[in-house]
Amino acid sequence: MSYFRGGAYFRDMFEQALWALKDNRLRTILSILGIAVGITAVMAVGTVGKGGRHLIFNELETFGLKSVWIFRDFVEKDPRRAVRKGTGIDNGDYAAVDAGCCPAVRHVSPVIRDFTYRPSVRYGNQFAKSDLHGVNADYLAINNDNLSSGRPLRVEDEQRHRRVAIIGPEVERDLFGGSRSAVGSEIRIDDQKYLVVGVLAMKDRGFLESIGSAGGERTNSRVLIPYTTYQQMRGNDEVTFLQVETKGLDYTGAAIAQLKGVLKRRYGDQYAYKTISMEQYIETAGRILKGVSVIGAIAASVSLLVGGMAIMNIMSTSVLERTREIGLRKALGARRRDILLQILMEAVLISAIGGIAGIVLGLLASVGLALATGFPVLPSWWLLAVAFAVSISVGLLSGYYPAYRAASMQPVVALRYE
Amino acid sequence: MIALENIAKSYSRGDVAIPVLNGVSLEIDSGQFVAIMGPSGSGKSTLLNIIGCLDRMDSGTYRLDDVDIGSTSDDELAVVRNGKLGFVFQLFSLIPRINARRNVELPLVYAGVAAAERRRRAIAALTRVGLQDRADHTAAQLSGGQQQRVAIARALINEPAVTIADEPTGSLDTATSHDIMHLFTELHRLGKTIVMVTHEPEIAAYAQRVIHLRDGVIERDER
Ligand SMILES: Nc1ncnc2c1ncn2[C@@H]1O[C@H](COP(=O)(O)OP(=O)(O)OP(=O)(O)O)[C@@H](O)[C@H]1O
Ligand SMILES: [Mg+2]
Repeated sequence: MSYFRGGAYFRDMFEQALWALKDNRLRTILSILGIAVGITAVMAVGTVGKGGRHLIFNELETFGLKSVWIFRDFVEKDPRRAVRKGTGIDNGDYAAVDAGCCPAVRHVSPVIRDFTYRPSVRYGNQFAKSDLHGVNADYLAINNDNLSSGRPLRVEDEQRHRRVAIIGPEVERDLFGGSRSAVGSEIRIDDQKYLVVGVLAMKDRGFLESIGSAGGERTNSRVLIPYTTYQQMRGNDEVTFLQVETKGLDYTGAAIAQLKGVLKRRYGDQYAYKTISMEQYIETAGRILKGVSVIGAIAASVSLLVGGMAIMNIMSTSVLERTREIGLRKALGARRRDILLQILMEAVLISAIGGIAGIVLGLLASVGLALATGFPVLPSWWLLAVAFAVSISVGLLSGYYPAYRAASMQPVVALRYE
Repeated sequence: MIALENIAKSYSRGDVAIPVLNGVSLEIDSGQFVAIMGPSGSGKSTLLNIIGCLDRMDSGTYRLDDVDIGSTSDDELAVVRNGKLGFVFQLFSLIPRINARRNVELPLVYAGVAAAERRRRAIAALTRVGLQDRADHTAAQLSGGQQQRVAIARALINEPAVTIADEPTGSLDTATSHDIMHLFTELHRLGKTIVMVTHEPEIAAYAQRVIHLRDGVIERDER
């Protein structure tokens, strides 16, 4: 005789299961709730984990995921920082890196920054706060920057020390208020005239800024001018830091070693250098997300455990209440596995209903979360499948013991039960 | 054909073993209608449960149609019960929640018979016991006599060779009891083996053979 006795047999089992659940309505609802809450938590963890990763990576990408910054370490390691002035990097170093002495580096831009002041930027009688950057033509590509209008900086702009500028969208808003096109207008930076040749596209770092991890950069109020122009203004050829794009995420370590090697060859131990890489940030972000996931997973496990215990309780009670019925079924030819299957089916039915309710709640919750926080909702089929599989497993696990007990009853003992 | 040889069974209460059957030997031919009588506690139900493959003996041999029941596994016994035995108890012979037809169908469910065929045979069996118009009633909506008739219909449906009945009229009034016994007599005429426990001599009188049990041994075997 075949193990599964066809669809009719299953339908009978299913109907039996439904009747049993109707008889224990309150306990059934409680168990379903327990499972639903657990599955909702599973969904939330999955969605937050995935959505969070998506969000954080989108924002990290605005720095250039393959970026490495190298600059003089004034603070810690430089033994004679009081004696030696300067940034420890100049155009010669940039030229050496640019000439290809660092095989792990794809692009490099010198960046001239003065962190001690924010020059005033003016158009007519409109002022804007800005962060002035002296950069080269590769800077936009390294930073994943796009232009909303105008053109990028060109090599001729560097060579001729042109007074041209690319402005961030917030600078454009403050100066032009959307009334006219910024491109082609002349603005004044510290009372020097600059021709606006391009406007940066808006970048979103809202989440990173909210957790204080945006590096203090006001990314949308940058003003970019040719580094040579900036150096001419300052009267030296110092570079504040080099920002490079490595050949790939795996090249971070090599790029750092090669950059430090170049500088060591040129200066010996005169200066100490420090590097920052996106890799570090990616790892940090990963750790934060993992922490969130672990907390969520614990919450999910606890509620699934409670739901599972509720199912075990309801199934044990209903098995006890139906001892005589089970005896009758055995007398009429039900084998161990028939009874096992029937009780397991009841447990799985509860947990599956709870699972589906939880999936629906989880979807609603993640939509709500998305609307409230701007967190992207990304439930996947994979996550739905996992949530459903988890709920079925909880049903099977918690139903197994009562089902086993019911299946093991001797018919005569069960029939005598009052 | 039922062949019991030297069947013993005791129940342990705490450390003490209380003997209930003390070497019962008995042969029941196919097609016999047998009543088992005896005082309360004499072991009638215990013996009947062993014959019905619901319980196991401690020692002795039991052959049912040449199958050695003592060495048969639980699941194999389920198949034996499903195919050869039908049951009518004094009370609660039916599953209360489901309707009469579905109760009658149950042995066929476990035999793996398709739904349409099950339904057809269940209605036929209910018709035979005169309850075709009660097919959709649940046990709670049926009288005690009707419940027993549904149980008899169920015992018929798988064409079992042996019907096991433990005080089938024990909670029925006299008129209804005789209606039920007429049904048993009809089963008997159709060639079924019937083994029935009863307290009432006028019920036992329907049987061909009456076995009297006392203190776990056969006291008298009247034909
Ligand atoms: N599961 C059990 N555990 C312990 N003792 C039992 C068990 N089942 C039956 N007995 C005992 O075995 C003896 C015989 O029981 P049985 O049910 O066979 O009697 P019976 O002849 O059917 O009586 P009655 O006419 O009252 O139904 C009784 O003394 C009873 O108490
Ligand atoms: Mg009895």
